Amino acid sequence: MSVVAKATYFFRTALHGMWHAPFVHVIAVATIAIAVFSFGLAYGAARWVEALLSSIGGEVQMTVYLAQDTPPEQAEELARALASRAGGGARVVPKEEALRRLSSELGGLGGALEALPVNPLPQSIEVELPAGRRQVGEVRELAEKVRALPMVAAVDYGEEALARLEAVARLLRFGGLAGFAVVVLTTVVIVSATLQLAIYARREEVEIQKLVGATDRFVRVPFLIEGLLQGLLGSALALLGLWLLSWAVGSELAEAFAFLAPAERVLLIDPRRAGELLAVGCGLGLLGSLVAVRRFLRS
Amino acid sequence: MIQMFHVYKAYPGDPPALSDVNLHVRKGEFLFLTGPSGAGKTTLLKLVFCAERATSGQILVGGRNVARIRESGIPYLRRNIGVVFQDFKLLPRRTVADNVAFTLDVLGVPREEARGRVMAMLKRVGLEHKADSFPLKLSGGEQQRVVIARALVNDPAILLADEPTGNLDPALTIEIMDLLSDVNVRGTTVVVATHDASLIARYHKRTVQLERGKVVADQDGVKAARKMASGE
Ligand SMILES: Nc1ncnc2c1ncn2[C@@H]1O[C@H](COP(=O)(O)OP(=O)(O)OP(=O)(O)O)[C@@H](O)[C@H]1O
Ligand SMILES: [Mg+2]
Repeated sequence: MSVVAKATYFFRTALHGMWHAPFVHVIAVATIAIAVFSFGLAYGAARWVEALLSSIGGEVQMTVYLAQDTPPEQAEELARALASRAGGGARVVPKEEALRRLSSELGGLGGALEALPVNPLPQSIEVELPAGRRQVGEVRELAEKVRALPMVAAVDYGEEALARLEAVARLLRFGGLAGFAVVVLTTVVIVSATLQLAIYARREEVEIQKLVGATDRFVRVPFLIEGLLQGLLGSALALLGLWLLSWAVGSELAEAFAFLAPAERVLLIDPRRAGELLAVGCGLGLLGSLVAVRRFLRS
Repeated sequence: MIQMFHVYKAYPGDPPALSDVNLHVRKGEFLFLTGPSGAGKTTLLKLVFCAERATSGQILVGGRNVARIRESGIPYLRRNIGVVFQDFKLLPRRTVADNVAFTLDVLGVPREEARGRVMAMLKRVGLEHKADSFPLKLSGGEQQRVVIARALVNDPAILLADEPTGNLDPALTIEIMDLLSDVNVRGTTVVVATHDASLIARYHKRTVQLERGKVVADQDGVKAARKMASGE
């Protein structure tokens, strides 16, 4: 019993099978290709969404409104304390600056403010939150502590916006996972159905193999190899597609999204990602053929 | 080589196909299995290579108890038994040589060695010039010789043939039967199921007759031949 002889026999049989039933194999390969291609796209999309979220998150700020009549020295002191607490920066915005900002934001209507007898706007401190501390829970905790301080009148940190952002991120993550599961399941079902057709087409061959003393494993291996080859072919096609796509539109996309992330080639698949997608494709093919073989080669 | 003790076989819902069969086929023997249609000939052969399991009784093949063999042991039993059955056809999309090599592929015999053995086997059945043809281009008798070559290429101890000449004309029938006798002379134990009385009359071999699942006669070659010739 030679291992090499068996291995060559298995590959010969698998290739012979694919060659003589090209149609079913084309379907399986196309299905795997589409699945892997969409995983590649989804991965690209996930990276944009991530970039989008973190760029929005970058604008999260906490504004601490101080009680009227807080002396400016005390405001400065508090700003320093907040800066060290938040691990970012903090800056005092005096009443006058607040009024100026408001009036410029109001534009033509800004003149109306000058008619006011006293500046009604409070002194405030703007706290920059560093990237690592933008979780809603953490920001809220900080805000509660600050709110309890004696000269603080109110704290505003865009709570709702932050929470919504996080909900969106959660939804996307969940949706992506569900989509992934659906695509995997559908692909495995289709691949295993096509392989069952292939097995059915070769049932006479299988019968004779068993008659002359083939073990179950011996009968199964060529079909598993067929599944593996389908996965390899399918994901290779998908990689080619992704590469072509990023070659065609990648630079435009990168430009379009340049405001989000440092101009990165958004879709271009790096070798590591390509390897992962290849492995996913092979896994899909192998899983499909395992299901088919289990269902069809009993007894 | 093959021993059966009180073998019963019942398919669900039918009266037993075999009942209380006792049979001893010695090593190197040639045996005809005969009887009317439905007598249980095919069933008996199937029990020997485990295509069916006996309902009760013991079956020894080469000293191993087939009735107790595990599912995973069946392939190894079959490597010692060549089978020529009507419903186990040649694969139309493989060449004659590849069809015969099938048996050796399963054993993991390397390609070049297998090719040599296949060609030697094809020579024995007189078909070495057809090695690279496809089965459908062969005559019925030639196809049957390829099937026999496939069954014998790994030198099994036993050859089971079910109606090996069933749909061949008389000249081809004799050609195939001569081939089987030759195989037997070289040491293989051969069991042939047939209801062709002329074969039994011509070949003077031990003949076991089945009727409704029971052994009703077990005669040596001369007696059986005489009986068949007299048309009883
Ligand atoms: N797979 C099966 N399922 C149910 N009954 C079967 C099966 N195979 C055979 N039988 C029954 O068992 C009995 C014996 O059949 P078997 O095929 O062994 O007869 P046979 O002697 O080979 O007949 P023939 O000369 O027509 O080939 C018959 O009554 C048949 O109907
Ligand atoms: Mg029969």
